[in-house]
Amino acid sequence: MSLRVLNPNAEVLNKSAALHMNINAAKGLQDVLKTNLGPKGTIKMLVGGAGDIKLTKDGNTLLKEMQIQNPTAIMIARTAVAQDDTSGDGTTSTVLFIGELMKQSERYIDEGMHPRVLVDGFEIAKRATLQFLEKFKTPVVMGDEPDKEILKMVARTTLRTKLYEAMADQLTDIVVNAVLCIRKPEEGIDLFMVEIMHMRHKFDVDTRLVEGLVLDHGSRHPDMKRRAENCYILTSNVSLEYDKSEINAGFFYSSAEQREAMVAAERRQVDERVKKIIELKNKVCSGNDNNFVVINQKGIDPPSLDLLARAGIIALRRAKRRNMERLVLACGGEAVNSVDDLTPDCLGWAGLVYEHILGEEKYTFVENVKNPHSCTILIKGPNDHTIAQIKDAVRDGLRSVKNTMEDESVVLGAGAFEVAARQYLVNEVKKTVQGRAQLGVEAFADALLVVPKTLAENSGLDTQDVIIALTGEHDRGNVVGLNQHTGEPIDPHMEGIFDNYSVKRQIINSGPVIASQLLLVDEVIRAGRNMRKPN
Amino acid sequence: MREIVTIQVGGFANFIGSHFWNFQDELLGLAGDPNGDPIFKNQHLDMDVLYRTGETLQGIATYTPRLVSVNFQGSLGSMSSHGTLYDHNPPVPSHVVTWPGNVSTHLSEPHKKNLFLQSLYEEEQENLAPMDGINSGKNDCESEIQDKDIVESLENGVQFWTDFSKVHYHPQSLYELNGLWMDAQDFNNYGIGMDVFSEGLRGEEMNERLRFFVEECDHIQGIQFVVDDSGGFSSVAADFLENIADEYTNTPILLYTVRGPESYMNRRSRRQTMASDLHDAISFSRLSSFCKLIVPIGLPLLGRSKVSSYLCLEDEKPYHCSAVYAAALHSISLPFRMETLGPAMDSCYVSGAVDVYGLIQMLAGQARQNIVATLDAVMPAPSLTGKQVEQSLLGSLHPFTPEIAEDVEDLQEVESLTIHGAFGSGGYRASVSEVEDTVHAAYENATTKPLFSHLSVAHCPLPIPLPFPSIFGNLVGQHGELLGSPVMGGRPSRGSLDVHSIPMAARLRSTTAILPFLENRLGNLQRFGIARGASGTELLRSWGFAKDELEDTAERLSKMIMTLDPHSQSSSDSD
Repeated sequence: MSLRVLNPNAEVLNKSAALHMNINAAKGLQDVLKTNLGPKGTIKMLVGGAGDIKLTKDGNTLLKEMQIQNPTAIMIARTAVAQDDTSGDGTTSTVLFIGELMKQSERYIDEGMHPRVLVDGFEIAKRATLQFLEKFKTPVVMGDEPDKEILKMVARTTLRTKLYEAMADQLTDIVVNAVLCIRKPEEGIDLFMVEIMHMRHKFDVDTRLVEGLVLDHGSRHPDMKRRAENCYILTSNVSLEYDKSEINAGFFYSSAEQREAMVAAERRQVDERVKKIIELKNKVCSGNDNNFVVINQKGIDPPSLDLLARAGIIALRRAKRRNMERLVLACGGEAVNSVDDLTPDCLGWAGLVYEHILGEEKYTFVENVKNPHSCTILIKGPNDHTIAQIKDAVRDGLRSVKNTMEDESVVLGAGAFEVAARQYLVNEVKKTVQGRAQLGVEAFADALLVVPKTLAENSGLDTQDVIIALTGEHDRGNVVGLNQHTGEPIDPHMEGIFDNYSVKRQIINSGPVIASQLLLVDEVIRAGRNMRKPN
Repeated sequence: MREIVTIQVGGFANFIGSHFWNFQDELLGLAGDPNGDPIFKNQHLDMDVLYRTGETLQGIATYTPRLVSVNFQGSLGSMSSHGTLYDHNPPVPSHVVTWPGNVSTHLSEPHKKNLFLQSLYEEEQENLAPMDGINSGKNDCESEIQDKDIVESLENGVQFWTDFSKVHYHPQSLYELNGLWMDAQDFNNYGIGMDVFSEGLRGEEMNERLRFFVEECDHIQGIQFVVDDSGGFSSVAADFLENIADEYTNTPILLYTVRGPESYMNRRSRRQTMASDLHDAISFSRLSSFCKLIVPIGLPLLGRSKVSSYLCLEDEKPYHCSAVYAAALHSISLPFRMETLGPAMDSCYVSGAVDVYGLIQMLAGQARQNIVATLDAVMPAPSLTGKQVEQSLLGSLHPFTPEIAEDVEDLQEVESLTIHGAFGSGGYRASVSEVEDTVHAAYENATTKPLFSHLSVAHCPLPIPLPFPSIFGNLVGQHGELLGSPVMGGRPSRGSLDVHSIPMAARLRSTTAILPFLENRLGNLQRFGIARGASGTELLRSWGFAKDELEDTAERLSKMIMTLDPHSQSSSDSD
């Protein structure tokens, strides 16, 4: 209470109050996210103060949308969001797991147990569970030709928790093909090489994979073709507009003529650059009816556009920086930074380039490319919130496929891992532990069951029955998960329900760390303004 | 045509922006109004410089600001982030097409539209429906009463910048920083905003929005960037600027760092003062390194400063203060969009057009490469031939930039002055050439005059839109003329109902008067951050600044001082 002397406004919560504050915050957060989990979860529609709609089933999005004020909840939410950043999924599970660890601990602490002992038990259980995960995981050999079926199963498992089945299945093929498309041997997978483009147009089922690239702008000259076949693609980062020279260079003119001459000279330089491009076009396109497309990262001003249009070239300006890389991966050739050394080798190739106009928005499709290493997922939907929801789902789907390829293993889903790990902890690990830390192991083991329990609850099943059925079946020596429809045990392998190994590992790793920190808090001091809303 | 893209980052910047776009909207409206004042008919201003034309999916033509606005999530009040034009808010759907399972709906309490926004909405509905003649006469009468209520409701209840905005924005314009809620935490220092830009896809999305507007420009003349640099938005803006400088290398950036008087108010403890001093130093140095010209704006006591001789401002209302700064920014931006008629012809409406590049080159690119300019303005501008000497136009310009020296003699001073709508003798509007002659004559007679002065003049005054705050004193007449005696009766402060337009003058100066501003920042940085055992090192480390980085920052600041004052070398060495 010495703090009171220093700052009479400080609020101090003593040990048990502090602990209960933490436990309640964790449980509160768990309650909010609980209904999200699994393919039978509840979707949340958030309507903002101005009527903006957001649809989400994603724990990560939801945590970001909630204006969390409670400091404990903020800590948990940060861990969960970090989970999403590193592995792309598992936010909801992390929050549930932390909440459940706190809930289980509460029972023991109320009976007078010291949190330190529980925390020791958590540590032992965590290590044991991670070891068990290594044994339990299903290795997948990636090699040169990854097993598409297993990738699809993982992606489908994720997507079906976000979207209705038919849509999820449609997206499953799209995301798996997209990742396989950008995959390069001996290199990490850069998901940024999958462009995600959206159009507010038609229906969600029109979402498709474009092998090639979709750009969100078009040519800016009325005489340029709107559709061209057999195109050479020049990817460039060359200024084709008349720029004033770099500021601070400081020019001084002594007369108006001198100034005019200066401007004319600068203009000529730009024209020279345009002419070099036209020369290259004439070289490769003479004698055939191939077309020529320039996609430039810098600007192209109207006089330059005019010259290009007259030469029959289609030109796009101010392309996204990332599209420079994607274009080269999709069409071949290389991105040029100067027109001085243009050769036909710099050019890429696309069978079809066409423009699509929706109101004031223009899209340029670059399609029919030879062996693309970059592609576009084109999301369509009737309104912004549907598009946003599909986009989130696609991102998660892509991550799950990437994780699988990098982990070279998967974990059986539908709660199978949790049930198996729990039984392992209770039946084997617990016995090897001395003293009261055993109870920590037990609390940890029971907390793992939160995943199958919540899955059952969200499906409207009786959690007790389900857990008994699952553990019973498990003790008969089978690996079992939960059938969401009937509540019967099933073999997840047969059903094709797989989760990411890295996601599971991350949950097991980070959950107990935060829970332990929260349990060991013995005093909460509110003194600074930082803790509360400024008023 | 030379386009400008505007970027507004942070709370106060958006308040200023809202007023700024209201002025533009008013100018557009008055130009098209058949019964309007003829002075607004021939503005000779090219609004396409700031605005873009587009069309909605339904094929309806739109004309919207070329603007990217960045702010907290939830800072848009009752306005949808998609704007109002392109997307009539669909009613909340009763079922979700993408999910067969349960749906739970979480409704935040809808923000109530204030009287002003309600009247805008009603007006729009009326325009859609065919009007009949008899009714419209009656409506006028009703709306007269309403206008008073509107002004009053705005005076008392502006919470968001959208509350007094009458402009339609493009869906790409309003960007909310996802997950960063208003008031959720103290967002008041450079460190706290450090990762905001790079987290998630925010930076990418902001770049995309900017690219959308830049791609449309045939020949962009520059980017006008307004940032509220009183808190974490400084670092968001610095990261954004770094990206812009990288991507659009040759596009000049004119940066205004703005802050409201309330940002000076929460410096209670010594620790807080130190934190904000360090913030100011770091933020200024970082921001200035990514632009071609930086103009710091924001007085701590605006309402009691000389600027407000004819105004009654309440410092605690951002709605009030931002209006004054917005008016000055409007004046500065006039030369960028004046129609040039060729060198031989002199327009009788505008003169002195210059583009962003030209202005920057003039102020920062000459012999002395000082990239910090000060802003001075007078609102409303006195008539050219003020009877009293102290009322002469040039003498009445007062600084909007804080911490600058007064009455310094600087032989190398360079300035760009804009005067618009000024009155000549006898209370009629002075012609462009008259203004030019008077100003030149004034400089001839002055004891100190700048090395170089650029003058831009426009005939058209600043229109006062309805949602403009009631900040004029009772010495200001209907057209912004300064009266000899106070208006009898009525309220002490006069607003848009009484004052319809005002003459304005504003100037940017490159001058040694800015030295104290720079020296304070350098001094604070050295005292609290770099000196041995400095009390702020820990804090700066938590913001992610290591010692050598701070030394670079200090170096940059002292270089800026040196360009202005070569003799200061000795003092910076001793540190």
